[in-house]
Amino acid sequence: MTVTESLAQHVVDSLVAELAPVLGDEHVLTSKTARWNRARVPAPFPVHRWSERVPDLVVLPASTEEVAHVVRVANKYSVAIVPRDGGTGLTDGAVPERRGIVVDVKRMNQIHEIDLENGTCTVGVGINMLKLNEVLGKHGFIYPDDPASYPCSLIGGRIGTSGWSLVGSRYGHSRDLVLSFDMVLPTGETITVGDGGGQKLTKSSSGYQLKHLFMGHQGTLGIATRATLKLFPKPEAEFSPFWAFADYETAYRAVGALPRAGVATFAGAVLFDEWKVDYLRRDDEAYIPQPSSVKALVCAVAYGNEDEVRAGGRRLMRIARDLGARYLGDEISEGDWAARHDRYATPLHGRTRNGQVAPMSWHCEDAAINYTRLPAVRVAWHGILDRLRRDYDVFDDWGMFAYTSGNTGLDYLTEIDVGIWEQELDDRAWAAWVDAKREIAAVSLAHGGSISACHGSCREGEVDLVPEELGGAYEVMLKIKRALDPNNVMNPGKYGLDRAYRTEDS
Amino acid sequence: MTDLVPLPDPTVHSEAGSSTEEFVAEWRNAAYNCFSSGHKFCREVCPVTQVTRNETWTPTAFHANVVAMEQGDLTIEDVAADYVNCTGCGACELRCPNTLYTGDFYRFRTRTVDLVKGVRALAVENGIHQPGWQRWNELTDQRTHEPVLGEQPVGQDQVRDWADGLNIPIGGENILFVDCEAAFYRTSVPRAVAQMLQLGGYEFGLMQEQWCCGGPAAEMGYVDQAKRFARHNLDNWHASGAKRILVLDPHDYISFTEDYPKYFGAEFDLEVVLVIEIFAEMIRDGRLTPHVPIEKAITYHDPCRLNKRKGIWKEPREILRAIPGLDFKDVDRVTQWSYCSGGGGGLPIEKPELTKRISDVRIGKAAELEVDTLVSACPWSERPLSASGDEQNIDVTDLHELLAESLGITVGGRRGDT
Amino acid sequence: MAYRYDEQSTPPAAEQVTDVAITRFEHVFEVDPRLMAEHVTQQTFPNWDTLRIVRSRTDHLAWMHAHWCTTVVSGEELLAELDAE
Repeated sequence: MTVTESLAQHVVDSLVAELAPVLGDEHVLTSKTARWNRARVPAPFPVHRWSERVPDLVVLPASTEEVAHVVRVANKYSVAIVPRDGGTGLTDGAVPERRGIVVDVKRMNQIHEIDLENGTCTVGVGINMLKLNEVLGKHGFIYPDDPASYPCSLIGGRIGTSGWSLVGSRYGHSRDLVLSFDMVLPTGETITVGDGGGQKLTKSSSGYQLKHLFMGHQGTLGIATRATLKLFPKPEAEFSPFWAFADYETAYRAVGALPRAGVATFAGAVLFDEWKVDYLRRDDEAYIPQPSSVKALVCAVAYGNEDEVRAGGRRLMRIARDLGARYLGDEISEGDWAARHDRYATPLHGRTRNGQVAPMSWHCEDAAINYTRLPAVRVAWHGILDRLRRDYDVFDDWGMFAYTSGNTGLDYLTEIDVGIWEQELDDRAWAAWVDAKREIAAVSLAHGGSISACHGSCREGEVDLVPEELGGAYEVMLKIKRALDPNNVMNPGKYGLDRAYRTEDS
Repeated sequence: MTDLVPLPDPTVHSEAGSSTEEFVAEWRNAAYNCFSSGHKFCREVCPVTQVTRNETWTPTAFHANVVAMEQGDLTIEDVAADYVNCTGCGACELRCPNTLYTGDFYRFRTRTVDLVKGVRALAVENGIHQPGWQRWNELTDQRTHEPVLGEQPVGQDQVRDWADGLNIPIGGENILFVDCEAAFYRTSVPRAVAQMLQLGGYEFGLMQEQWCCGGPAAEMGYVDQAKRFARHNLDNWHASGAKRILVLDPHDYISFTEDYPKYFGAEFDLEVVLVIEIFAEMIRDGRLTPHVPIEKAITYHDPCRLNKRKGIWKEPREILRAIPGLDFKDVDRVTQWSYCSGGGGGLPIEKPELTKRISDVRIGKAAELEVDTLVSACPWSERPLSASGDEQNIDVTDLHELLAESLGITVGGRRGDT
Repeated sequence: MAYRYDEQSTPPAAEQVTDVAITRFEHVFEVDPRLMAEHVTQQTFPNWDTLRIVRSRTDHLAWMHAHWCTTVVSGEELLAELDAE
């Protein structure tokens, strides 16, 4: 991989001279700490190569107009721009692969409007969902976009990655919940994207439907600055049963049967495989005491009015009971579910082959897989990880989850969690890992799935298979990229989109 | 019984290595534990980040910098000034999943507060000073107390002035330690505390020669001075036969239950008691009965060093609920993990404008509840909160002042105005 | 909670729970310290700190339920209803 050179000091000085008068001196940052800390995301990467992806400067704009100014200046100097919001994504959309200017939008975190009558709110994209819901809760509303980073990820990142929500089977995912947003295009013009021309509509057939295009582009098509969100009544009740199973196969049947039951308050179900249960036995207070006969787990969750949740909950309990599941009790069920709103892995879950604790970073594969293919993908993925761990004692198989993506049991966010000990990750091990990611992605495609259900598929390795996954649609992506970003300034290096510029340049 | 590895000896723990290399060696795993997670759950609870939204000043950045220092990418000169931006409130390290979900299991938790103190100490060792802090600690060293009144004198001649007329003896087994801010600036707090202890029949005395606890010096990186002050106080307690130190200030409580044990190990053989806990117990067993109604609409500010860093939040509420007449609009203690006055960690000395923004936000939260009074239990929070409260028409009162009033005590002293 | 150094720095005796976990405080599991001998060593952990984290976790989880909804439906209750049918 080629490493981009830092900009010459005189170019940085010129950029600062153009940006500071508009953004304010204190919002144009060139210090090393400011730049180093905008090169980090949770996705594992060899620590000794950190400096390769450090930006040249950082700006903290406070308005759409300021963002547009930054974009115009970047075009003038042909300097890369990398949008950054929470920086909590598990792919590397926010990583400045070609250095340049990081546009950090966290200052845009205002609540501009809460429309109690129509049930919407309009916010700056730097706001976090939990913080927003602390305010909305006082009005009896909730914005139910619920990733595992619920207390720290920000609306702009949810738009840029087209986020996936734990309770999406009930409320929809980011793309359903974000009604419209203001978008600064790669050339500096600002448009409002949504269903039709209104900002608060859930359905319009007017014109091209561009909202999906401008969500999940990993910052390659512009920068969202302000968004209007769909609100729901804050649920009266929650129900989150966890069950133990004696084998994977029965648990697998359960995680299919639960969404198919047609329970209206059903918000999601999750399958934990045997590797995941073993992993939880390392340090999770709920699972350390479980008997060895527990080989798989399933949980379900329902939200809504209390009478409806109770009625639906009874159906879910009956399905699990009839399949021979053992209910783990209210304490574990309630405690574990409450922890899933902020369930990022912690490094000390990691174990070397001899069982010693080692601090490992968390890699999370997140394919979208149809129900019938889940068992086969599981076997293939664990096989890849097993070979990797045998060769390199810096990788650890943390088990698999399968989460319902919708309310009919059609497809599942299929996750294998991998511990990676970055402190000891040398170039050889990293290369082996990149190969493994390619293999993991290939398995997903071979089973008719998609490489990513929630994070994005632009990490090294897997990204090579995106053209294969999308086929002719990938060629359209290249044309769109070229049309909207003629100077290739907007987060260059992602998704292989440099190909869009090769023909004429070469 | 398993064959256990002994716990590390706290007395050999150093505040900071004598060089960047030693420092990095000590902190590498702790820093990496944060860096590799990348959760950033700290961001939205950090008082500084909440008002600046600047990722450079997030708690996770403070850890990541150490990883970059290990890689040779950053030096202490590059990072020192960033570490001013911390109040030491502890929200980040408590909210971190590495603490909240697994800290107790592994006996390994996120320690941002210690890390920030460590980097500040490393900076001072390397001759990198923040001008405000350098001056503050020079004056503290000269006067044996923090210069909380600016140019007005503070020192041994004035340290017991707050107790005028209260007939408190010197020495004894139980010593009431009064922090610099309360002893010189908000003297109504120690007066309230002393008179309530007297009313409840609790025998206590004052120190023979009290010096600053040393905690602020430790927080700003002046570790040798902090240890010197701590040594003086410990020797003084030992010489006078003290067995128990009564503490009214949460910052002192941290110094005595965290810093002093690190400095002295088993030599630190005194009991440390927070007076709030004594008063809650006295109310429970009937030794104190608040009876004068106080017709105020209040909310309570959980001092960070009690709530977040020590888990003490029940007793203050127990006391408030025992005071007749109060309309108490409580905000739960978990929500308050993201509240702060901005008054800690030396921030008001170096960046008073940042402290003010944090205090403004905190007072704004109180204003939303439509209360007329914010009750705190930390003298260091009360100065910045009062300044913001004056602008938003909210009075800031100390819990001890309020309780004393309800016990019919005429407190006296000053509520801070110099 | 009066603080005394000797009390706080002496953890209760450990009991082995599984191959990899022990317990010192009631209902609180800890890693078997032998697993933290090579790469990461344990920190000084006064007793109050362990208990503070455990209690804060409980408080946080309760807070998260209240943040999302007003009531939590009990699975044990629903199961009892089903079994009674």
